[in-house]
Amino acid sequence: MNDPVLVQLLLQISAAELTAALRRLRDAAHSRMDALFPSLPLDEYYRQLNGVHDALIRRAVALAEAELARSGTGSPPVPYAYLLFGSGGRKEQTLSSDQDSGIIYENAETEEKELAAGNYFAHLSEKAVALLQEIGYPPCEGNVISANPQWCLPESRWKQQLEGWFETADWESVRYLLIVADCRHVYGSEELFTRLKKHFYSDMLARPVIVQRMLDNTIRHKMLIGVFGQLLKEQYGEDAGSIDIKYGAYIPMVNAVRLMAVQSQLRPTSTLERLNALVQAEVVTQEEAAAYSEAFLFFLKLRMIATENNKDGMYMNNGKLANHHLTKEMIEELKQSLKVGKRLQRQVQKLTLGRLKK
Amino acid sequence: MVKKMILTVGALLLLFPAMAFADAPSTAMLNTGLNSLWVMLAAILVILMQGGFILLEAGSTRMKNAGHVAGKTIFTFGLGSLIYWAVGYGIAFGENGNLLYGLGKFFYNPPVLYSEDAGLSDSVFFIFQLAFATISLSIAWGGFAERAKLSSYLIFTIVFVGVIYPMVAHWIWGGGWLAEDGAQDFAGSTVVHLSGAAAALAATILLKPRIGKFNKDGSSNQILGHNQVYTTLAVLFLWVGWFGFNAGSTVAIETGFFGYVAFNTQIAAAAGAVAAMLISWAFLGKSDITTMLNGGLAGLVAITASCAFVEPWAAVVIGLLAGVLVFFSQKFFEKMKIDDPIFALSVHGAAGVWGTLANGLFATPELAETAGVGKAGLFYGGGLEQLWVQFLSVVVCGLFVFIVSFAVLYVIKKAAGFRVTEEQEIIGLDLSEHGAYGYPEQMKKAQQNLNA
Repeated sequence: MNDPVLVQLLLQISAAELTAALRRLRDAAHSRMDALFPSLPLDEYYRQLNGVHDALIRRAVALAEAELARSGTGSPPVPYAYLLFGSGGRKEQTLSSDQDSGIIYENAETEEKELAAGNYFAHLSEKAVALLQEIGYPPCEGNVISANPQWCLPESRWKQQLEGWFETADWESVRYLLIVADCRHVYGSEELFTRLKKHFYSDMLARPVIVQRMLDNTIRHKMLIGVFGQLLKEQYGEDAGSIDIKYGAYIPMVNAVRLMAVQSQLRPTSTLERLNALVQAEVVTQEEAAAYSEAFLFFLKLRMIATENNKDGMYMNNGKLANHHLTKEMIEELKQSLKVGKRLQRQVQKLTLGRLKK
Repeated sequence: MVKKMILTVGALLLLFPAMAFADAPSTAMLNTGLNSLWVMLAAILVILMQGGFILLEAGSTRMKNAGHVAGKTIFTFGLGSLIYWAVGYGIAFGENGNLLYGLGKFFYNPPVLYSEDAGLSDSVFFIFQLAFATISLSIAWGGFAERAKLSSYLIFTIVFVGVIYPMVAHWIWGGGWLAEDGAQDFAGSTVVHLSGAAAALAATILLKPRIGKFNKDGSSNQILGHNQVYTTLAVLFLWVGWFGFNAGSTVAIETGFFGYVAFNTQIAAAAGAVAAMLISWAFLGKSDITTMLNGGLAGLVAITASCAFVEPWAAVVIGLLAGVLVFFSQKFFEKMKIDDPIFALSVHGAAGVWGTLANGLFATPELAETAGVGKAGLFYGGGLEQLWVQFLSVVVCGLFVFIVSFAVLYVIKKAAGFRVTEEQEIIGLDLSEHGAYGYPEQMKKAQQNLNA
């Protein structure tokens, strides 16, 4: 049921030979998605939009690979997978998401080969990140990006790193583990990715204590609704009067649903898919999941409406929704949805603490 | 050791019989002495409140203005004292006046010793009143902060302490026309605090907001003070000093009424701080320290008028409402695009009005009689009469101070200039008005970063 124009665009993306062409195709896809926004159901809209993003990223990595070959750096010495974290991992990218990415590659047989592989993938990630930047994806501010050596590792080192994080379990490690929970394969060997995820969950099972730390991290962002049921808006500065949809509505829900899913060892990464899986696993009821999904979809919609600044050719967005975008009905719905989100946060807290007591 | 004790005891024995032959002071003499001692102590506490204002103002403003903001308080306290001695005191308390102003006691020369039945030393009373006048002045500076020329501080001190404040003080405390009506303002919610705030309002309107406070689209920016610990300590200073302010205003200790006044003061201030913290928490999702501090002060300002007239439960209600009021008042002034760097308008203005009106609601007949001013409030069977008198005193005094201050500052603005230049405001008043920064090392670093 994909839009025919988009299908055509996807085909063109997968055949594009130049980044300039990819940029043009992205712009075209954006205007198409803009046109579809009012008519498409929101989950369908996000599915199609993220299909476009995946295609663009896939193609950009392939072009990076080709360019390395052309410039004499050679071809991949071992199989690898290009991974997406963050909103990309959750298939929740907007028109202005940044790059959260990583690379996992197969262990080489000898030390010498491993060194060569490391060298190659350092070049590849650098090239891929640069190309994606040209297509308008700003690099991740938190430096969760394939060009960062911490996120570009051979399989054995990835596993060591995961174990290290589970071992340390400090605030930063827990943040990384939650990032890995949203990890999704977008290009290259799917098998490598599957093994990584499997390792993640077996480590997880061995250390139930980590869940308590994850809970602290998960409920850190508060739903932006006050005790009188009022919206908690920005007080000062150029965004005064706007509401921080990203960190005051969307992220708290993502976090809560992720924690429930991770505890139940559920593999889907998108928030809506996770909610469905949670119903299957009988962690939440059908009604609860329906309410949560509805609220979440509303946040996704507002996130699309939130201000977009085009800075230096990058598609950017600070996740804050200006007051003038909101009609009276929308404010009412936002308040209701925030209350639902608050309920979800309470449920996660109860569920997690309850499990720990057992 | 033993030797020393024997010597001491011996010396005391020699002294005591000697004392028995001297004239014992009369009860009236002792009474006057004790009252004077108490009021002197209270005056010292009120003067120490200037320390509170120094910290409050400096802490609430930026580093580049800290030396100026702090230092000018001592300067204007000094100048204000001279002016009050020469002119102000005579207009407030001179015996040859009318209902509008007093005359006499200019260049005041108090008796060296108090007479037996004076009730209170005249020089102590003068110092106590002077302390009040200069506190009102320091409140007014809240509207000047971070952008007014030093010369305007000089001129305004002369007019405010010489004429404006003494007139209001005369009306309510010096036997003026509002005193005749029975206006209840025990320690000066209106006389001191509202007057200061009305002058601050006139100043801040004429000066216009600080550079960078408001955006073109009407939203405002937060210009955070450079030291919240100063601001917090300031509130404690002021809080402690306030016992001199309110309890000292009994100007006597005879029946121990000052204790009751102090009691009401404490619980109202406490209620103000708590209410402001909770209300900001509920409304903003995060509790705001600045609002909480302002709430404590607002509780103090509000109870200042009513501390001698109300029951403890009413003191708590007055404090609680003052804390809530200060939060909304801050928001209101910001909405109106009136820059209030030290929150003087909300803390001293809004809470001053509320505290004065509160008498009209909560004053009990017994306490009104004890204090000897006015009647019972609305909730104690007094009807609307006292409330009307309170309302009148607020409107008249507030408007009078605002209009006269506005006129004086307008003349300053046109004649000599009121606000420093944009460049001076950006480099800071420490440098533009005094030639050296209060925080030389830090500001030097900032300058280097600016040039880099």
